[in-house]
Amino acid sequence: MARDKIYSEEIFPSPFMQHWQIFRKTPVAMLGFSCFIFLIVLAIFGPILAPHSPVEGQLDMLLLPPAWHVDGDISYLLGTDELGRDMLSRLMYGTSLTFGLSFIVVVISLVIGVVIGSLSALTTGLKSSFLNHFLDVILSIPSLLLAIIIVAILGPGISNTVWAVVIVLIPQFVHITRYAVKEESRKDYVLASRLDGASPFRILYYSIFPNIIDRIMSQATMAQSAAILDIATLGFLGLGAQIPLPEWGASLANGLDLFYIAPWTVYLPGLAILFAVVATNLVGEGIRHALKLRKER
Amino acid sequence: MLVFTFRRLNLFLFTMLVLTLLSFSLSFLFPGDAIINVSGAVNATPTQLLSIRAAYQSDENLFWQYIAYLQHIANGELGISMASQSQISTEILNLLPATIELSLVALVIAMFVGIPLGFIAAIKHNKPADNIILSVSMLGYSIPVFWLGLLAILTFSINFGWLPSAGQISLLFEIELITGIQFIDILLSDSPYKWQAFGDATAHIILPACVIAVAPATIFIRLARTSMIEVLGTSYIRAARSKGLTFQQIIFRHAIRNALIKIIRHVGLQFANLVTIAMVTEVIFSWPGIGRWLIESIYQRDYTAIQSGLLVLSCFIFVVHILTDFIYAALNPLARGKKHGS
Repeated sequence: MARDKIYSEEIFPSPFMQHWQIFRKTPVAMLGFSCFIFLIVLAIFGPILAPHSPVEGQLDMLLLPPAWHVDGDISYLLGTDELGRDMLSRLMYGTSLTFGLSFIVVVISLVIGVVIGSLSALTTGLKSSFLNHFLDVILSIPSLLLAIIIVAILGPGISNTVWAVVIVLIPQFVHITRYAVKEESRKDYVLASRLDGASPFRILYYSIFPNIIDRIMSQATMAQSAAILDIATLGFLGLGAQIPLPEWGASLANGLDLFYIAPWTVYLPGLAILFAVVATNLVGEGIRHALKLRKER
Repeated sequence: MLVFTFRRLNLFLFTMLVLTLLSFSLSFLFPGDAIINVSGAVNATPTQLLSIRAAYQSDENLFWQYIAYLQHIANGELGISMASQSQISTEILNLLPATIELSLVALVIAMFVGIPLGFIAAIKHNKPADNIILSVSMLGYSIPVFWLGLLAILTFSINFGWLPSAGQISLLFEIELITGIQFIDILLSDSPYKWQAFGDATAHIILPACVIAVAPATIFIRLARTSMIEVLGTSYIRAARSKGLTFQQIIFRHAIRNALIKIIRHVGLQFANLVTIAMVTEVIFSWPGIGRWLIESIYQRDYTAIQSGLLVLSCFIFVVHILTDFIYAALNPLARGKKHGS
């Protein structure tokens, strides 16, 4: 028999834990989540695990097809590019550049966006209206266009790309946090805690944040998939990561000239981007699904 | 409706203010001299430079400089391109229609594919058809557009040889530039090969437009699905059903109309997304539009072009945004403002 009725009091899991319990029961979401964890592990340990150097080529191993091809070599599992660089190692290093950096980008913009968003939710009147309009304007400019402009100001390069994407993502977090905080603060439990004499920051920290964290997480997954695509697109356009770096978008652009002779140099980085974005979106779908189920209860 | 118009107008003015401020400040943010960045006159002699300085009032304080900048924009003077030394406003006028054409075709494709699929998914809610459509749509908005474009070129242009891979029309056809929108120009021209040219232009637009349409189409699928599910759960649908209407009558007479209205609202937002995708696709398909021009100006460090390109492109997106808002309000009385007593 189950032991869950030993104690007389019931346990109320925090909103986050409730959410996790629903999330855990969706197999597709868990699949996406494990792929996500796999990518994070690869992003951290990829450089240690990679069998070859991502920038130094083997001149006698040019344009080797993947190992399952007749001419393939098993020590170069996914083949080599036109300079004899191992594709597998390049993709593994690329994970920490494209996926790892996009994760960092999302964390930075999440922190900044949530702080600004919750502060702005506490303000009212003209300041708030101004901010609202301003956000509308920024959000109406396409994110990639804005990122391209910022890169044009800062100059091409991977670090400038990171800053550009951070700046682009912040308004989205500000918007969603502001909206969620405003919505929650109309509810009765917040009023109760206000009547208890809690200061606005205390209410924000102890009452509102635990209840909106799932919405912010859901936004974070969307931001992450946008960040991966933006970093890769900028890399592809030659505005992001520069030549020797094995960033996925940049190595895809690198393989362009030999697309017809060596299609794997274009297929593989594209598949890697697709895999990372699909994994992220599956996690996001899982979170949104859990959100919906929890609301319906 | 008057209050609604007034509000939108207010928002429009505010947006223009912010956008012009942003583009004005860009000339200071870009490397180099602000006055050269804003005018593009890299080869100007000292006397020319003096007159440009006077025109932009660069000896006055920032406020008057901004006013002078606004005056220049209002007169349609966006400076000259640093790279080609030609007027940016004429360049943009030549290029923007091609982008509008491409994005509109893509938008139409996306709507005609996405919305019906979304409705089917909603009607078959929680059945295999729904799940398949949802999974495909997830794949659709996860796929990087430049990769998709390359795969499309490899498959349909190189392997099968069905469709051309680059450009707007074959160079054999000589079409006079009247409106800039290729299809209208072809129909207006009196060339004997008009219909061949039309067919050729169609063949050229199919591939890039389909590549652009993939991501917005998947978003339309999801929007259509959610709004249809919402509508099917309302009480007026239940009333229609209890009246004894057949399922088709309910869907076609009541549900689709009400569900469509909610989607129209999001078309404006999706358009911004679509234009971004179009920018990258233009680079891949060598489409002579503003996106490719903008990205090339970044390669050439043509700051005047970047600055004006940003301004024009974001204004364009915002105008579309406001237009769809108006269409939505015209179609849906509920959106025009809060009703008393509701």
